[in-house]
Amino acid sequence: MMSPDTMDAVFQALASTTRREMLDIVRNEPGCSVGAVASRFDVSRIAVMRHLTVLEEAGLIISDKRGRTRHLYMNAVPIQMIHDRWTSEYSALWSGRMLDIKYLAEQRRARDGDASEADEIAHTKGEPG
Amino acid sequence: MSEPQAKSLPGEIRTSMYRVVIRATIDQVWSELIRTDRPMPFFFNGQYDTPGLGEGAAFAMRTPDGKHTLVMGKVIEFEPPHRYAHTFRFTTSDDPVSIVRYVLKEVEGGVEFTLINEHSAADEVSKSEKQMAQGAKFICENLKALVETGKATMGGRMMLFMFSLMAPMTPKAALSSNWPLERAPDLSEIPAATEEA
Repeated sequence: MMSPDTMDAVFQALASTTRREMLDIVRNEPGCSVGAVASRFDVSRIAVMRHLTVLEEAGLIISDKRGRTRHLYMNAVPIQMIHDRWTSEYSALWSGRMLDIKYLAEQRRARDGDASEADEIAHTKGEPG
Repeated sequence: MSEPQAKSLPGEIRTSMYRVVIRATIDQVWSELIRTDRPMPFFFNGQYDTPGLGEGAAFAMRTPDGKHTLVMGKVIEFEPPHRYAHTFRFTTSDDPVSIVRYVLKEVEGGVEFTLINEHSAADEVSKSEKQMAQGAKFICENLKALVETGKATMGGRMMLFMFSLMAPMTPKAALSSNWPLERAPDLSEIPAATEEA
């Protein structure tokens, strides 16, 4: 469904830690300005603009000009189309389940790590664990 | 994963956008988008029930057999073949009314189709908002597939099939007898709605 050129552009755009971070910011703050994104990075505004252009040309960011300000929005459709190329409803269900288990187990490990420290403190105070 | 975030800009509307380029003429895309004579595979097989789409018109999006109603809305902007916007509320939810906008623009190689969801920016992201975010991706992808190839994507067809299996489980609240066109949500039900395009 997606042309090879378009898909190349998406992967190239995503193959950069800085651009992925920019995408995170725009996703978390839909409608934010270029300046708001630039303020998070220790590089020139021109460099930020260049990264944003790459993201926009790949279709991952939509820039909506209202008056003199450009508002940025993340567009999830290209990522969805890549997802759909390699997953069916069935495999998505099971891989989704597996990821749920992974996230839950990792969360629990992080929490139990804290809890066992707390237990030790409780024990030294002579309280039940 | 990619769920809507609660944070929004100052102002009281939270906006999200979805875009896809469709290799077709603008009239082909527009006519699929506003087609009322048969179910729309890219809109979860909903079919418009309306006296006629046009500014101010009420509509219900009903299942192909007409028994259930998925969505109620009222047209707030209708400028063929470029802009269409309507209010939006799921029949199965009490969440605030949202706005859905479609913008079509001719670009090199086809039509840029943009879907915009606007929600009253509450601190909590409502269930409707999450569903609409999922739905928007589905609509963009499957409208593109339908116009370009004549049918929905494989995943889309699978989902429609699962929908048909789940039909008997549709809540009573969605029965079409509960949803005459008079119940279409008005723009005035959105406190923060502005006339800005």
